Amino acid sequence: MTYYEFISEGPKGLIKKIVEFTETGTENVYNLGFADYDDKTKTTSDVSVSNNGDSLKVLATVASTVYAFTQKYPKAWILATGSTSVRTRLYRMGITNNLAEISDDFKVFGLNTNGEWEQFIVGEDYEAFLLTKKENIL
Amino acid sequence: MTIDQLNQSKVPIIVFDKKLEEFKGKVLFPEKLKRANEILAIAGLPKVVIKK
Repeated sequence: MTYYEFISEGPKGLIKKIVEFTETGTENVYNLGFADYDDKTKTTSDVSVSNNGDSLKVLATVASTVYAFTQKYPKAWILATGSTSVRTRLYRMGITNNLAEISDDFKVFGLNTNGEWEQFIVGEDYEAFLLTKKENIL
Repeated sequence: MTIDQLNQSKVPIIVFDKKLEEFKGKVLFPEKLKRANEILAIAGLPKVVIKK
């Protein structure tokens, strides 16, 4: 497991965020978990909506941890699911808005409504996302 | 590292925080991991040729 933490800074104050990459049962595939972290209670919440006015920046920072993680584990595939449908949609928007830049380095797939992976298509609904560095695919 | 280099870097500046050691071996999001494994068991990986 690999962890990254960062601080969201906004009108609600400083909110600690934690990103976790966990090995799955499939070789080289890691699950991305992301949540607020409460230092006092030492608990995480991946459904909390912190409304700190910086969701795009937070998403970009999570994305940057993917770059860092795949630099360390270049063969890795990263799987991400939103903890709520709203959050899944937020991930989809984040990918959509940055697809050109992401595609410079990664192949991105979405789990479609038939339960199959397909190359990410803007405007399609997905339940989960999977990406890996371009050079891992022939 | 210059500001210019920082702005062009896609990788964050990472400072190792020993406090993160407290999580060592812990799965913080077991439900999500379970879901990921279920998805992989059913859908596998995309039908592409993967470089070994």
